[in-house]
Amino acid sequence: MDRTLRAGAPGTPPPLGEHLRSSRLRAAMLVQQEALQAARDFLRGEGFTELLPPLVGPVTDPGGRGAKALDVDYYGHPYKLMTSAILYKQASLRGFPKLFYIAPNVRVEPEETATTGRHLVEFHQIDVEIADATREDAQEIAAGLLTRVAEHVWTAVPGLLSELGRREEDFADIRGGKYDVCTHEEAVRRLLAAGHPQNPDGEIDWTGERLLSLESDRAFFVNDYPKGSRGFYDREDPDNPGVLRNFDLIAPHGYGELVSGSEREADYATIVTRMRESGENPAKYAWYLQEARDGIPASAGFGMGLQRLVRFLTGLDALWQVSAYPKLPGAVTP
Amino acid sequence: MNALTAPGFPEEQVRARARHGTAEVFPHPATYGARLFGPSPAAAPPQDDLDRARVVPPVFMPQRLEKLIDLAREPEFGDVDLTTRAGGLTARLPLYLSAFGSTRAGSGDLALHASRQAARLGIPMVIGENMIPVHGYRRADDTTRSALLARVEAYLEAAPEGTGGVVVQQSTEDADSEVWNLLYSDPATRPLLETGRLAFELKTGQGAKPGLGGMTVVGREEAARLARRFTVQEVFGPDDDHRLRCATPGTFTDEILRQQLRFMRNNFPRARTWVKFHPGRDIAHAARTAWAAGADAVTVDGAEGGTGWAPGVFLDQVGLPLAECLRRIGRPAGCLLATGGMWEGGRVLRALALGATAVGLGRAALIAVDEDPEHGLERLADSIALELRLLISALGKYTVTGLDADDLWWPADPATTASADPAHPADDRSGDVSGDRSGAQAGAPEGTS
Repeated sequence: MDRTLRAGAPGTPPPLGEHLRSSRLRAAMLVQQEALQAARDFLRGEGFTELLPPLVGPVTDPGGRGAKALDVDYYGHPYKLMTSAILYKQASLRGFPKLFYIAPNVRVEPEETATTGRHLVEFHQIDVEIADATREDAQEIAAGLLTRVAEHVWTAVPGLLSELGRREEDFADIRGGKYDVCTHEEAVRRLLAAGHPQNPDGEIDWTGERLLSLESDRAFFVNDYPKGSRGFYDREDPDNPGVLRNFDLIAPHGYGELVSGSEREADYATIVTRMRESGENPAKYAWYLQEARDGIPASAGFGMGLQRLVRFLTGLDALWQVSAYPKLPGAVTP
Repeated sequence: MNALTAPGFPEEQVRARARHGTAEVFPHPATYGARLFGPSPAAAPPQDDLDRARVVPPVFMPQRLEKLIDLAREPEFGDVDLTTRAGGLTARLPLYLSAFGSTRAGSGDLALHASRQAARLGIPMVIGENMIPVHGYRRADDTTRSALLARVEAYLEAAPEGTGGVVVQQSTEDADSEVWNLLYSDPATRPLLETGRLAFELKTGQGAKPGLGGMTVVGREEAARLARRFTVQEVFGPDDDHRLRCATPGTFTDEILRQQLRFMRNNFPRARTWVKFHPGRDIAHAARTAWAAGADAVTVDGAEGGTGWAPGVFLDQVGLPLAECLRRIGRPAGCLLATGGMWEGGRVLRALALGATAVGLGRAALIAVDEDPEHGLERLADSIALELRLLISALGKYTVTGLDADDLWWPADPATTASADPAHPADDRSGDVSGDRSGAQAGAPEGTS
């Protein structure tokens, strides 16, 4: 890792009581509540219904990148804490064609992510799903959501942001709805050209993502991740096998990924096959597969990381600074 | 000890090697000068086609000349370098410890002793599937060490720096228990990850029962406990206390394999990626697919392999022999590992000459450790290493990678070739060659080119 990246590496949180009394956390929480209010206003205005997500279930999002789910003993059955409620979002679509959660999630991330500044074990997502929608529909909502939130916080609490060192002009593109788009293939090419060894078949690694974000002045979508880099529920492009109809939204200036989203697989046989391709045992997804057999609507959706959003808005170094009760990967804290 | 038996396997020879090590490579020294030696009439009959091949040194040895120039003296067998890179791991010998599975023979003290000895030998160790679904893993409220972590720790304590490594299999049922995920983030495996010595092996099948999943025999009580994760059957009769516990083999197509390998590389970027195949008829296609998807090693388990429990019909009648697997794969496009009936240097050398980078010791390792828990496996490996040094230098070569198929020769098939049958010498002299026999001779020189 080079010196500039390490220079941005944040420290570790002070004892919890001290953290909770800090003026920096107070400022971040005031920004967070404005962001949440704006998100809810925007999504309700677009016709979405807010549901409250489940906390445990027999299965959860199998995820990736070495993150794992926590086990719960549920009346003698092995249950999982939700790493994301993606399966429940899909299952809800017939009753709620446009829905969102402000969802708490738990992912036991690998310890090496403790220093990225972008990982917490407990975090929240603004989790959105839209029936009969395309990737572009989902991207429009994600972009609109970020634009509305940025607009609102700069209207409601501009003094707080300025005190934290944020400059209003750095949000001009987002408030103006200007986003760039590239493909995963292009992103890999840029990283390789910059001398960063990026696996073309894989997720863009943490350092690579930070490099791409650092060299950009505008938020941008990365489309078309390769199959094998994401969960079985991201839809494979029928016109371009091996490529998923998915996306990330990356914030500029080194803040990195804010959103992951995709069109979803809704076809039963395809879901089972994709489960095998990601090494999953379909038998443990019985309830979800029964829903898929009965017919899950085609959909697209995304999750926007709430703490990542607030970190970007406030310009703070690390996610633990924008979480009241931070849990860093590998650190055993209250 | 002698708690284990392995009928059909040269158990006594393996036990002797576990006791006496390199001494077993030669006839007893007391016979020196008193007995005339030739091909041993009592030699064990070839186990399979791989054993039938003879190792054939040339007369002219340009590679020995290279070594002579390099050393500025005549090379000796001790100059053979047996160090190899097996699936991204450094092995001091072209050997690794195969998975024992979750059978009773493969867990517990024997496996721990085997782990320590493999570590001291500087060879990789594969830990079998179904350890966690069967034996559990450490949980927050359970401070006892699981069988798997105990083996990892035993290995780490004894392994010299920079050599060997631990390879952990995952099957379909393991995927439910998220074995790789548990290990990848466990502080206990951090020393392995930090030194690049952790690998994960995707298990798609095994030699003992190609096309089937794992099977073990369990007691009634354990069967009840396992029934939620595995199929448990009363094949031994309703009154018998034993039950058969079956795991599923898992479904694979070339695309499923390719994507699972990508998924492994993406999720566990700091671990090496291995794949184990049963001796399937499409083994060449499977191996090519795995290498193209970035597998660091492909393990082929010949039909002779297996420490595990299997139906008799599978042990005797199902799957390609290892030699045929290696022949179908041809020149490997990546690191190829082979297992199946390995216990002495000759068979190991033949597998290496046919393209393998290293071979796995399964039953032989278990028997050796059963014979002497402290040093049995080390002595067995020492004897194999000495034989390899002798054989490889005799071929005029000094590295494992220098071996190739030219180093082997298959005699005509004795079962179909009259001239090779000493019981009927008169037939040969009579010139009375039947149509059948000449047909067999025409087809005989298989593998001699």
